[in-house]
Amino acid sequence: MTILALSFASYLFALWKRPFLYLGLVLQIGYIVSRGVELGRLPLVGPHDTITFLAASIAAFAIPFGFTLKEERDRFFSLISASVAIFTVFALTSKQINSPLPPILKTFWFECHVVLAFMSYALFGVAAALGYFSIKNRDPVLDALQYRAVLIGYCLFTLSMIFGGIWAYLAWGTYWVWTPKELWTSISWTFYSFYLHARLRQWWMGRPMAYLGIIGFVIVLFTYLGVSLLMKSSHSF
Amino acid sequence: MILLKQINKFFLSMRTTLWSLGLVLIMFLAGAFIMPGNTAFKALHHMPLLEWINKQPLNVTWWLWGTIIILAVVAVNTLFCSVESIVKKRKVTQWLLLISPQIIHVGFLFILLAHFLSALGAYQEVAAAREGSRMKLTGSNTVLQIKDINIRVDYYGYIKDWQVVIEYSEGGKTIQKDIIRPNQPSIFRGLNVNVKNLKAYPEEILLQLNREPGATWALVGGIVFMIGIVTLIILKIRLEK
Repeated sequence: MTILALSFASYLFALWKRPFLYLGLVLQIGYIVSRGVELGRLPLVGPHDTITFLAASIAAFAIPFGFTLKEERDRFFSLISASVAIFTVFALTSKQINSPLPPILKTFWFECHVVLAFMSYALFGVAAALGYFSIKNRDPVLDALQYRAVLIGYCLFTLSMIFGGIWAYLAWGTYWVWTPKELWTSISWTFYSFYLHARLRQWWMGRPMAYLGIIGFVIVLFTYLGVSLLMKSSHSF
Repeated sequence: MILLKQINKFFLSMRTTLWSLGLVLIMFLAGAFIMPGNTAFKALHHMPLLEWINKQPLNVTWWLWGTIIILAVVAVNTLFCSVESIVKKRKVTQWLLLISPQIIHVGFLFILLAHFLSALGAYQEVAAAREGSRMKLTGSNTVLQIKDINIRVDYYGYIKDWQVVIEYSEGGKTIQKDIIRPNQPSIFRGLNVNVKNLKAYPEEILLQLNREPGATWALVGGIVFMIGIVTLIILKIRLEK
């Protein structure tokens, strides 16, 4: 937990000097690896591990996107650092789940499903950050970057759903179950399908797309945290 | 003739796509609030969706009906747009860039087909069983017997691993033996037999039998969808460079 706390501190210092963002990411990845070694499995069960993974993924994906920016680069990285710091605080205050994995979770399909899901959430988060700056400064580069983040995120999210469906069929005999988690996943997926089609219409270009990118991430956060914490489903924490 | 033109225009329109997707979102959001508080949904997976939906009051299922109707519009809209896109732009130079979104659409249509087939014929049965338990499979003369339950528990009492040996027989003759393990169900004539839950002391399992007619189409649709979207991303990156 000390390493995680240090990564949090690094992310805060990153608001002052950007290299601390890279240090925070390295520390956080180090923490995830150490958790994995300690547990003998991928640390991706429960709020503590998943929020940590999400925070690290957002930082990791934000870096290449941030370097493409010119005027907004520093402010973009500051927003990312602040966001990731907040997620890390939630991780620090969340309970760790250290029990061994039940046999049903010891499968490649589960690991891929969860890893891809959080990588896609991270990309949607980066898209939301780009959308925020796009609202403030009308810059086609920001619009294009947001689209790229959403498109790749959508690809990973869909793949995560496919792996989840395969796993569910092997584990429970059905590729789809109507529970709150699956329903909210459908909402997130349909929303981003809407986003990808809307940008083909002139009316939606610019600020509307930026707002959609932000709203999408709010939906994704509810799908991930809200459903797992507030509702009963196979994905409950 | 004018009506046909208008129908054609409606299904070829991106506006139709956006409105349909928006309405599907609204239906899903309504369902997200209706579903958690309603016990009627507990029986949803034990029978085909279309059979279940017909038995429930409309105040519980209106959002599902709305979703089904709008998704039918989305399916036709997708088909119309994809065909038109391929036919009109077939002579363009970047043909692969043109066709990759349509591959995505084909994958999406296969997935819709999968859900439709499942809505017509998917069902689930559960049964508590111990070693020696026998049960007749619904709609057939086949008897399933639990031959052996093997559960390994670690020092702290957590289940480490398990396997269940089963046997299918007809008229007293064994036709197939199989072993169910975590994430390794027994597939028998399209029936997925898996273990939903188990107890170590005494050894008892909750056996789950599922029929999912749409499963293969869902997998095919998923693969095709991914081929399309990965191709699109690669081509877009190349185009930018």
